[in-house]
Amino acid sequence: MPQAPDNAMLTELGKRLVSGSLSDAAIQKATEATPSHAILPWVNVVKIGGQSIMDRGRSAVGPVVDEIVANLPHHKMILGTGAGTRARHVYSLAIDLGLPIGVLTVLGTAVAWQNAQMLQYMLAQHGIAFLEPEGFASLPHYLMERGAVICQGMPPYKLWEANPEVGRIPPQRTDTGCFLIAEVFGARRMIYVKDEDGLYTADPKKDRNATHIPRISVQELLARDLDDLVVERAVLEMMLNARHIREIQFVNGLKPGQLTAALDGEPVGTIIFNAAAPGGTA
Amino acid sequence: MNDTSPGAQHVVSRLMRESLMDKALIAGTESTVRAILPTLNVVQIGGLSIMDRGHSAVLPLLDEIVANQGEHTQVVGVGPGVRARHILSVGLDLGLPTGALATLAAKSSAQNAYMVSCLLANHGFVYLEAPFIVQLLPAMLAAARGAVFNGIPPYDLWEHPPAVGKIPPHGSDAGSYLVGEVFGARSIILVKDVDGLYDADPKTNPGAKFIPEIGAAELIRMQLPTLPIEPVVLELLTRAKLAKSIRIVNGLVPGNLTRALAGEPVGTLIHA
Repeated sequence: MPQAPDNAMLTELGKRLVSGSLSDAAIQKATEATPSHAILPWVNVVKIGGQSIMDRGRSAVGPVVDEIVANLPHHKMILGTGAGTRARHVYSLAIDLGLPIGVLTVLGTAVAWQNAQMLQYMLAQHGIAFLEPEGFASLPHYLMERGAVICQGMPPYKLWEANPEVGRIPPQRTDTGCFLIAEVFGARRMIYVKDEDGLYTADPKKDRNATHIPRISVQELLARDLDDLVVERAVLEMMLNARHIREIQFVNGLKPGQLTAALDGEPVGTIIFNAAAPGGTA
Repeated sequence: MNDTSPGAQHVVSRLMRESLMDKALIAGTESTVRAILPTLNVVQIGGLSIMDRGHSAVLPLLDEIVANQGEHTQVVGVGPGVRARHILSVGLDLGLPTGALATLAAKSSAQNAYMVSCLLANHGFVYLEAPFIVQLLPAMLAAARGAVFNGIPPYDLWEHPPAVGKIPPHGSDAGSYLVGEVFGARSIILVKDVDGLYDADPKTNPGAKFIPEIGAAELIRMQLPTLPIEPVVLELLTRAKLAKSIRIVNGLVPGNLTRALAGEPVGTLIHA
């Protein structure tokens, strides 16, 4: 039989973990009662949209960069980038070639990486570094020294991305990657910078009667089962299981001041919150 | 949201300007997937069930892998075992989040995979980290006789928080399955220390009934309190495009892996 470590050193939960099955529902439940340490409770994760901001070039990226620089003395930021139109092109091509979801994720990651590099060129003179996932152990140092770091927004799943229920587009892209960064570090805020004021009852670019939704619970949003969303569905599903992140905020990067307002904790744009989390209100 | 306003510089494509969150658009991408390595077999060596037992369990299994490699190309995933359980225990006690626990546990299976690659080195197997699986696996299989990889997928800090508790849901079973799925492997065989799936834990319940074959969706519905594989694998199977089944075999019984590679109905087959 396998040799267990010296049990005298283990907690009661530890003794169950080394001897039992990790798929045992009772053991999983028992891990719920452990403490939750927020690793970087003062950091803000800010996702800069690919199609919505980066693909617009200087007219959109310039003001966002200025706003990031102005906030460096006040707010520490992990800046993640989206992918955008080149990802859409490479996804269509790869789908046409019959390539699997994991390969599409590898391809899409390269586009988010390109955008992260471009954003870093625009912020380099302020001492802002770009970190690959492998370099994340240095992240606290860069944040303390310079106030921000840049990373590409895709989760590093590579060929290990899981299939979606329907279709062939990787379901966990840059919205999800940035959300999971915020969750694992126990971040102060998760802010998505896109090209709309947030969430609407319909697509405001197509429907003039669409009305703005300033605040909505993730439970209600999922129950509405909308055909289109401002954020990847995977983020909404993960919000239900998140231990640290109770709300996410969407602001319009084309309107100067919205990102700053969100960093300052103002209810600008749209906030999606978890009504089931402690302190949540339906 | 759909972007039709001026300003963005687009590359022309079928998905240009479209919202990738749109249900109709997502459904419209449904089409055939090509198998990249259709002759590949993914063999997953259990951590607690095989590796932690040491040479008496590991060496006969590796001999069987080597004996079959000429006929059936295998890549070998390896699970973490008891050291991952220990670091989960310490990490949970410190209050670390699931993503941190996943990153820590993955080092334990990397150790096991590295040891397996050393034991198979003489037979031309190489150890490949995730970036090299992405870039080099086909080349390595053409040049070397086989490859060993870390069964735990490279989700690291980006591991999903589970619905209940904090244990990382994607372990080495999930990672090995996903390698099989993305390459369109011929078979995925999980080598453990049980004969397969029972309707109860045979170690504590002598009346447990053996299940030779079952659908993943049905198994999810049965809501068994404990399973010999990670529950997330069942969900992955329900969404399979290419790898439509996994087989669980008892690696402590000589010949089981060989029979599974030959396509014989040994152990338990869980299909999509």
